[in-house]
Formats: sequence, structure tokens, C-alpha cells
Amino acid sequence: MTIAHHPSDELLTSFAAGVLDLGRHVAVATHLTGCPHCRRVVHAMEHVGGLVLSDLPVTPMSPGAFAGVEARLDGLAPGVATGPRNTAAGLGDIPGLPPFVRDYPSTSWKWIAPKVHLRSVRLPEASATRVFLLKSQPGTRMIEHTHSGFEMTCVLSGSFVHAGGHFGPGDFDFGDGSTDHEVMIDSTEACICLVAMQGELKLNGILGRLLQPLIRM
Amino acid sequence: MLNGKPDDATSEAARWAALIAAVAREKDREAFAVLFTHFAPRIKTFMRRSGASEQSADELAQEALLAVWSKANLFDPNSVGASAWIFTIARNLRIDALRREKRARTSGTDDIDLEFQVDDGPTPDAGLAAAQAESRVRNALATLPDDQLRVIELSFFDEKAHAEIAQSLQIPLGTVKSRLRLAMNRLRGLLGDLS
Repeated sequence: MTIAHHPSDELLTSFAAGVLDLGRHVAVATHLTGCPHCRRVVHAMEHVGGLVLSDLPVTPMSPGAFAGVEARLDGLAPGVATGPRNTAAGLGDIPGLPPFVRDYPSTSWKWIAPKVHLRSVRLPEASATRVFLLKSQPGTRMIEHTHSGFEMTCVLSGSFVHAGGHFGPGDFDFGDGSTDHEVMIDSTEACICLVAMQGELKLNGILGRLLQPLIRM
Repeated sequence: MLNGKPDDATSEAARWAALIAAVAREKDREAFAVLFTHFAPRIKTFMRRSGASEQSADELAQEALLAVWSKANLFDPNSVGASAWIFTIARNLRIDALRREKRARTSGTDDIDLEFQVDDGPTPDAGLAAAQAESRVRNALATLPDDQLRVIELSFFDEKAHAEIAQSLQIPLGTVKSRLRLAMNRLRGLLGDLS
């Protein structure tokens, strides 16, 4: 699997810095699951974070802070490596998701437009960014649309093409308000994507205006 | 300093790693005290800049060092540098603290640790000692001009901090963002053999 489209360096840095809301974090993590290249970039950025931290000016600790911490050391249990819980209700049937996302509860597939189904992912934290899976049948032509916010799309299976290029499994697509594209599913199998979206999707054209009330995204 | 002498970088990284190893192996309190003295007041600054109050920044810094003590057995010097490891502990505590502000229930940092585990494959630096990786990053940073270093530092804090720093540097936010892009490109070039 060759990945051609990656998140920007700034986005990978924000991921490593831990400043993304959970919805955006999930989208980047999904890309990272399939992309060793970007995992190395994130790892390097964590090293940058370590150096940034190490070089920050000091703020003196409160008096007695060390003594207080030292007094608590004996009572601490040694760390245990964490691992995913593999809950039955999760998204275990969807390939390509990071382990922690597989544990998130989700709705069942819901029809939202001809040949397009949507499955909402319930995040455990309030997040300004919504996350859902979108499954589109081969040959589906999505209506031209723009966003009032932004949209991050990770291809999990199948592929699509738009003016920005061809997107297959592992590819990451970032669209913001300036993106105005017609998407065409060009794989022979259904195309499943994880989408993180902020703002509302605006459909263009008369068909879009007719469909808009039907499509609850 | 981020742009300090490169030769000191490896030895410093190796020194922190050795101290964490001593904590893991022998519950070495002297080693822990050295780690506390260096990192706790800096983690406190990190939390303050992230919007925590004086008191909660102090508590979070203490929590971070308690986690360094209890998780020292999980520290793998072959996969991650010592400062980077401590950074990830502080980062995850910061995320946890921000979430706790929003609601009463707390899931704890275990969930956040999981959110950064994106695959089960080999560690990215396998074969390359992490202290070396850390010093390579430090060497790369050392060649960046100061204004680019500042914006890289910025990206480890949220957007609010960006706006504040833009103000303190007296440059528009857009300039901060474009400088960041420039600095990232430069850094990526310098770290070229990562990919």
C-alpha cells in the first residue's frame, strides 16, 4: 500500500504536542496507524517536545513540593502497560482503525443519500469535531460541496478521486472552506472513510439544495 | 538552550536516561531528586503556559514526577529519549487536566496514553539508540534561526498561546503560522533520513 497524501507537518506537530481536539486527533491517529513515515515524524516531534520542555524557564515549585512527592513514592504501584479493551460494541469490524478507536461505540450504518451510508462514532469526550464513517458504493459521484469549517478524511478501504488527486487506503485528505470538489468513488469495492468534520457541509448546485435537508451530516 | 552546543546533547540525553533507569532498577531516590529538580519546575512552566493556575500547575508538575517514578519500569531507552518520554507524560497529564475541567468524571491518563498508541509495530527508532535520535533532533534545532525556534516552541501550546506569543513578538498571527511552516520545512529537511 503506497500512501501518497499525508497530513501537513503542522498537523503532525500539533498531534505530537497534544493540542488537537479528540475528533481531529482520531483522524490523524487513523492515518498514523497505516503510515510508518508519519509515525516517525510524530516521534521526532515528541523529541522536539522533550527539548522544548527541557529548555523552558523554571517556575519555582511550591515549598514542600518535593517532600510531599517523596512521601508518596512508597505507596505507588509500578506502571502497567496499557492496552486496548476490545469492547464488543465497538468498531472492530472496520479495518485500519487505531486500537483505541476500535473501542468507541458507534451507530449502525444509516442511509444518507443514494449509495452512501454513514455511521457515527461516539467520542468519549466532548469535541468540536464530529467523527463518522462514510461508506460509498463504487461509481458514486458525490455532489460538489464546500465546507463552512474543515474536513479530514482518511481512506480505510476502496478509493476516490477528486481534483486534488487519487486517494486510496491510508491516504489523508484535508479540505477547508476553500475546497470545492466533486468526489468520485473509483474503486470496484465500496469506499469506507473515516471523516472528522467541523462546521457544516454545504452542497452546491440545485440538486444539492434539494438534497441538503435530507442529508444530516 | 535549544541551540546549545551539539556535543553536550548526547551526553545530557544519556544522563537523564541513566537516572530514569536507576529509578526503575533500584528505586534510587537520589536519581529521582535530580530528575525532580530539573523537570518539575519546567513542567510547571509548561502547565502555566497552557493556562493552568499557579496551584494546579504545581500539582500537575508533582503528578508528572510521580508518574516518572511509577512508570520508570516502562521507560525503554531504546525506543524514546528521556526528555521526550517525560514530555509525553506531561502532555498527557495536560490533556487529562483540560478534560477534567470540562466535566466531573475523569477517565485518567491511561485512556490518553492509549490515544497515542497508533500501532503495535516496532518502535520507530528501533536500531538507533534513542539518545542518539534525541541529539540528532537537538543538532537540527541548533541550526535553526531564533525566530523559527520560537514558533516551533509555540506549536507545543494551543492556539491561544499562539495568539499571545504573536502579541509578545509583535507580529501578526498569520506570520507566526507562516514562520512555523518555514521552520517545519527546514527541520524536516535536516531530519531527512527519518523517512
